[in-house]
Amino acid sequence: MGFISVDHPTPALKQLPTAVAFACALLLILVVPGIEVTDDFTAVLGIALMVVATVLAALFTRMPKYEHLVLLVPVIDMLAVGAFRAGTGAALSLFSAILILPVVWIAAERGRKHILIAIAGTSIALYAPYFFGLVPEVEISGIVRGIFTPLIFGLAAAIVNELSRQSQVQLEAIRRLADDKEVILQRTVEFANQLQESEAQIRSGDRLFRNVWAAVTEQSVIGTDVTGLIDAWNPGAVQLLKLDGSEVENKRYVFDFHVPAELNDRSRELNYPPGETVLNPGFSALVESARLGQAESREWTYVLDDGTTIPVLLSVTKRVDDDGETSGYLFVATDVTQSREVARLKDEFVGLISHELRTPLSSILGYLELLRDDEDNPLSVEQKQYLGVAERNAHRLLRLVGDLLFTAQVESGKFPLDAHDTELDRIVSAAVESARPIAASAGITIIQELPDTTPVVHGDAIRLGQACDNLISNAVKFTPRGGTVTVSLSAENEHAVIRVRDTGIGIAASELDQLSSRFFRATTATRNAVPGVGLGLTITKAIVTAHHGDLGVESEEGVGTCFSVTIPLVAQTSAVR
Amino acid sequence: MTTETARRVVVADDDADIRALVAISAARAGYDVVASVEDGDRAWGAIQEFHPDLAILDVAMPGLTGLDVCRLARADATLVSLRILLLSAAVDEAARAAGREAGASDYLPKPFSPRALVAWLKQESGVDA
Repeated sequence: MGFISVDHPTPALKQLPTAVAFACALLLILVVPGIEVTDDFTAVLGIALMVVATVLAALFTRMPKYEHLVLLVPVIDMLAVGAFRAGTGAALSLFSAILILPVVWIAAERGRKHILIAIAGTSIALYAPYFFGLVPEVEISGIVRGIFTPLIFGLAAAIVNELSRQSQVQLEAIRRLADDKEVILQRTVEFANQLQESEAQIRSGDRLFRNVWAAVTEQSVIGTDVTGLIDAWNPGAVQLLKLDGSEVENKRYVFDFHVPAELNDRSRELNYPPGETVLNPGFSALVESARLGQAESREWTYVLDDGTTIPVLLSVTKRVDDDGETSGYLFVATDVTQSREVARLKDEFVGLISHELRTPLSSILGYLELLRDDEDNPLSVEQKQYLGVAERNAHRLLRLVGDLLFTAQVESGKFPLDAHDTELDRIVSAAVESARPIAASAGITIIQELPDTTPVVHGDAIRLGQACDNLISNAVKFTPRGGTVTVSLSAENEHAVIRVRDTGIGIAASELDQLSSRFFRATTATRNAVPGVGLGLTITKAIVTAHHGDLGVESEEGVGTCFSVTIPLVAQTSAVR
Repeated sequence: MTTETARRVVVADDDADIRALVAISAARAGYDVVASVEDGDRAWGAIQEFHPDLAILDVAMPGLTGLDVCRLARADATLVSLRILLLSAAVDEAARAAGREAGASDYLPKPFSPRALVAWLKQESGVDA
């Protein structure tokens, strides 16, 4: 029943009562003797107008865009009833009453002007017989009827109009209320959804936290309140300290698991006089940095109930409540027993290499020298040559041992740097001079380019010299006979830059970033059977890095390679050479 | 060179070949090697026994180290004129500083050149002579 809406009646529905009443009138004329057409023309005109009005009502129903013209329908209805009344006995016609139907329609429209339209329409309809000249004499009763009836109809129209207005106002109020209710309902639903979402988020966060808490088994995580009373104890703490959460939570204090002497030492360092200004100096020392909001990792010793001690790296952070006040502390500890042992073994190994390999080499080199210096039994030229080979190789071995020792020191972070303000031009010159004999015998020219001023860096002259030596001897090693090695020093953007450029065999682009890995050798090096073990650049890189510098490389296979060392300048003397 | 003027030296190193190399160099420099021992305890015994002019000590030895012997000697008032040369395979500045702190007169890193050792010894006896 979609097309009949009582809430919004269509023009066709509004027309229906009038059309039906009109049809009944026609039926009465046909059926009831004595009720008859008195004037054919006006009767037929009335019927025709009624048909037009009904057709229009149907059209307006179909085409809502013309709805603003819909009042034409009741107006034409009134004209139709007026004409039909005139044609069925005029003032004596039975059908004057039909007029009330279009009047009600018009009066029900919003706005008081419709009352006037209804009155005017009624008057025109009632005076219709006079217009059509059907009443030969103007009768007083006719005129009165033409005024009185429209007045009554106008009254009825005013009542209908007012009732309709009131009901419309009420309807609108109800609609508004319904709309408001809907909005509120929608908001409630949205809020419920949000609530559900937040709850899911909180639950997932909580689950994540629980999972992480349980997954941390290699770190002991202990939570305490501000006095150090333990309130959280993760599986890592169970594993490390061999106690269950139930044995410690709200029962024991975190400093029960520390060596008292260590806490005392630290509190003395921080100037906490025991028992005076601070209630528990040991605990205060433990959380000092965390309390100040600084993350701190420090080595401490945990002590188990059975007296076993465990060295740990401990990070202490504070816990804060919703107001940002410190509510306690978190102690995250990593057992460093194993890493300490590894470090000790490494140091031992480095010491072993240093001692056990250098001692026999000391003997070899020392005795070879004795042989050479024996004035009582001088060596032949040939013997001296053989001795030279043995010495050269012993020195080579010694250098290798030194390099290994050095890389081991770099790895363990125990790389001693004896740093002073150092003039780089002297270091570069010395490195170039020491490389000249080997370069000359290999048929390679070394060109040195120094700046007019002396770049000064803060560094270890011996190590920087070693870095230059490595780069220059590499360049010479990888350059074919007749080639050139250019060593330049310059000051650029508050940095000293040493460049060692050769016309050698070059390095494949794909291998450039592996150059400073330990024992790495470029394909071009192995293919050309250039001797070496692949430690030189590792060492050079370590030295340069320790000087807060950069080691750069550009290379093209078959064209050459350029290594550049960039180190921050301390100052640049303005003295012109 | 007579025995009256020859300066006396105690040599200690756990490596027999190095010990011999040092002894040969000392002899070449005109020193009289009164004892050549393989550990720190024996070295300290020999120093107390012979009151030599010079002790050449390896740092890393079983028992007392060269540094230990150095400290013992420096604490002994009867050994004020004893010169001590430490030999060590450790080459860094920290090892050198440790030697100085223990009271060594000088420090020679291994591997050393016998030629350089002879020169040092000759200079040492010249200074004191």
